Amino acid sequence: MNIKITHSWLLEYIDTDATPNEIQKYLSLCGPSVERIEKVDDEVVYDIEITSNRIYSASVFGIALEVAAILPMFGKKAILKKNPTLEDKFTSLNAPSEKKLTVTIEKPELCPRFSAIVLDNVTANPSPEFIQKRLKAVGVKVINSVVDISNYLMIELGQPSHIFNYEAIGKQTIHMRESKKGEKVMTLDEKEIALPGGDIVIEDGEGRLIDLCGIMGGYSSRFVETTKRIVFFVQNYDKVHIRRTTMKTGQRTLAGTYFEKGLDSERVEATLTIGTKLLTQYAGAKMISRVQDIYPVPYIPKTLSFTPNEISKKIGVPIEKEKIIKILASLQFAPSEKDGTITISIPSFRQYDVVILEDVVEEVARVYGYFAIPSVLPEMKYIEQPKDAESFFTYQEIIKSFLKHLGLHEVMNYSGCSLDLLKSFSLDESKYIYITNSISEDIKYLRQSLIPSLTANCKQNEGFADSVRMFEVAKTYFPNGEELPTEQFKIGLAVNTSFEDLKGILDGLINELNIPSFYFEKGDNALFSPSAQGKLSTDNGKTIGVYGLIKLQYTQKVGTKKSVFAAELDFTALIENARRMPMYKPFSQFATITLDVTVPHTKSFDEIKQYAFKTCRHLVSLSVKDLYKDTITLRLVFTDVTKNYTEKEALEELNKFKSLS
Amino acid sequence: MDILRLQKEAQKKIEECRSLSDLGQLHTVYLGKNGEINTLLQNIKNLSLEEKKTAGKQINELKQSLTLLLSDKKISLTEKQSNDTKIDVTLPGKQFPRGTVHPITIAISEISAIFEKIGFIRMSYPEVDYEYFAFEALNMPATHAARDDFETTFLSTPENKKFGRMVLTPHTSNGQVREMLRVKNPPIRMINIGKCYRPNWDPTHTPMFHQFEGLCVDKDITIAHLKGTLDYFVKEYFGADTKIRLRPHHFQFTEPSFEVDITCTACKGTAVVNGNKCKICKSGWLELGGTGMTHPNVLRAGKIDPNIYSGWAFGFGIERVIMMKYGIDDIRNYYSGDLRFLQLF
Repeated sequence: MNIKITHSWLLEYIDTDATPNEIQKYLSLCGPSVERIEKVDDEVVYDIEITSNRIYSASVFGIALEVAAILPMFGKKAILKKNPTLEDKFTSLNAPSEKKLTVTIEKPELCPRFSAIVLDNVTANPSPEFIQKRLKAVGVKVINSVVDISNYLMIELGQPSHIFNYEAIGKQTIHMRESKKGEKVMTLDEKEIALPGGDIVIEDGEGRLIDLCGIMGGYSSRFVETTKRIVFFVQNYDKVHIRRTTMKTGQRTLAGTYFEKGLDSERVEATLTIGTKLLTQYAGAKMISRVQDIYPVPYIPKTLSFTPNEISKKIGVPIEKEKIIKILASLQFAPSEKDGTITISIPSFRQYDVVILEDVVEEVARVYGYFAIPSVLPEMKYIEQPKDAESFFTYQEIIKSFLKHLGLHEVMNYSGCSLDLLKSFSLDESKYIYITNSISEDIKYLRQSLIPSLTANCKQNEGFADSVRMFEVAKTYFPNGEELPTEQFKIGLAVNTSFEDLKGILDGLINELNIPSFYFEKGDNALFSPSAQGKLSTDNGKTIGVYGLIKLQYTQKVGTKKSVFAAELDFTALIENARRMPMYKPFSQFATITLDVTVPHTKSFDEIKQYAFKTCRHLVSLSVKDLYKDTITLRLVFTDVTKNYTEKEALEELNKFKSLS
Repeated sequence: MDILRLQKEAQKKIEECRSLSDLGQLHTVYLGKNGEINTLLQNIKNLSLEEKKTAGKQINELKQSLTLLLSDKKISLTEKQSNDTKIDVTLPGKQFPRGTVHPITIAISEISAIFEKIGFIRMSYPEVDYEYFAFEALNMPATHAARDDFETTFLSTPENKKFGRMVLTPHTSNGQVREMLRVKNPPIRMINIGKCYRPNWDPTHTPMFHQFEGLCVDKDITIAHLKGTLDYFVKEYFGADTKIRLRPHHFQFTEPSFEVDITCTACKGTAVVNGNKCKICKSGWLELGGTGMTHPNVLRAGKIDPNIYSGWAFGFGIERVIMMKYGIDDIRNYYSGDLRFLQLF
């Protein structure tokens, strides 16, 4: 979260000679990041990012604590002028002793600390100039003195407070409890919220819910301009409860953002005390009750002990004991030292984020200065990369680079596609994993094939490119019940040129990968036209790829004007058979004999080819020379690597092949 | 045949010859197997001994002089032909198709190579993973507010009793504990590069993006080692004059946690370009991403004893480092499938 505070407000807590720019620079290096300095009228405003573990610093006082610890390390003066948690006690209010309010808390852990006071004679007049000015500068809407003071306290001390209309609380009785599922509460913003159950709520003496605690007050007991008697209410809540309610109801408020991170129970007292004083001074309030302070388990500081060496060893640079002690003291950890061991006492406002030694390491290191730590490469160690991982990455590069050099463009599509796209390909969406909270319908269904997206890419680009030739290498996802889906890595190819182009790319790829044992055959994939498709199989009959002309009824639905020829290969199966170098066969020193032959084209070329190599022992290459009607003319090259080979011998082999073709 | 006349005629013809092919013919006419010189030599047998001597000598001299003339002429004609070859050398050559790989692919190669040099192996981990590996194992219980930073994409698959619901990983950090469980005994030096998913879609966010995750676990790994590695990486990737700085931050899976900035690639950290304020960084620094020392709870989830081992991890956006290095700023183009963009690389 980000907070805004003004420089002049900060100076109420800090005596410093640093300029706003210096404060920005040094705080950002060692503490919260000051993202911007703005000027609003004559106020200098800091916009500061507060990480979720350091909610204690999300206030003027909190930033002052950081400034006091950090700036002296840069030779700047920064003295904390006041510390409300130590100085502003309930006793300083001299409140009357009447009770005025009956309070019960169902489970003490819901609310580690509860405080409330009843105030009378409240007037919702305009706030004093300084409050208005500061609230405006930090971007908070000015309403009236009562509401403004509540907001002012949140920014000054980082502790939300709430104002109830005292008269609207049934029987002036407050019962804090966990909600039941389905109970309804109407909040200040006039929204009726059905509660998920287990939320912290307040029920009044007449059985009404008057507060969705820590998130927003109830509508019925809200403060309005005519309200005279109020309950001024400052609490801590169990952060897990608040977080859960925020998530489940979707009610995001600033108060909720504070409470869900775990606030300092010790700061409740200061907030109620200072708030009551402000309301008295600027809203005409008069105390008519005692402070009810329910704090069953007061915070007892925990301690941590360690040696300076343990700290230095994690940081990687020796830091003297004295320096560590000085840093921890400046951060209010009250360090003490005995026999070389440092013991710190963790103040209440750090109880959630300083728990283990590593947390102390962070505190020391950040104030010492990350910039002062040297840069050292870790010692070199040999780490064995599993061979399958190595081969996976190596071949990805080889394949991508090869396709690129054939003139194809690599595309990366989203891992999910739309229902419409699945439907265009008559794919059954019930077999698909989908995103239940998808930001867009366009990417909802996790792909099982890359071809639909690639077809859409063809459609998208055909208008301004003469030809579209693209490929994608990506995962596809197949459900496995409650086990993780099978993530199958695939290569997808799509061209809108010709079948021959697509097939040529596949041939080239197989050659590039030096795979001798694959064969092409007729395919039966539902994506492709039945008479213009093939599949690529290994010699033990496993299909590892499909290719063909995408059915025209599908491409029409996608909206392409040109036909799309596409292929999809199983990446893992492909590279299992790939080699960096082909099987070595020595070339022949003897003459080669080249012969052409025309045979009936009744079987597929691949079948004829397989057969030719089987029958002709000296055949070294076979290519297509011509196609005419139902015949195919082949060019065969023969040789013998061990001795001279004659045309006569070649003709004998050829005739054997021809007679059986 | 008069030797002198022959010599004169041959000299003239050689001199007047204008092409290498004509010269080749002249060579055959005079010096060929059935050429004039050989004819003269054959006719010598009809002469007297004395005449033979003289004629033989003359013919040999003629042969030598013609050989010389022909070879000189060949040199000059070759040179002339060579000089006369006129080509518009600026015309386009034979056209080969120019394909492209995706800019993310290029960046992944660059990044993997940089880390390979210091012994980091590249691994790959699931893009659909259980909440356990995406969060709980990384010290982020379901109730933790920090989980907001990783708004999550949930899937329709049934919940696993042991590991929870399935998500599209919001970061590559799910690979951390998985790598620890795989290796069992450190040292670990890993780079995991993968697709990540968060439900944001605007000019600076796409719901899918890439991260590269570094993980180093060993005895006595310190903040200094993290700084050293980051420093090495940014100098290799962005240039030798690049500097880093760490700022405090918070991530549940690291303690301490840092945000890393690098000196702006445009203004080199000066915040000034040609006398004007740098438009890219404003302050001289650009945010690179998050990093930190591996939290003991994360090591424990990976079955590694935090009392013996320590480590660090980082996760940076690939789109972001490309933007910082090459200035490609509208990341929506990456996954748009638009050839006009893709063919630029």
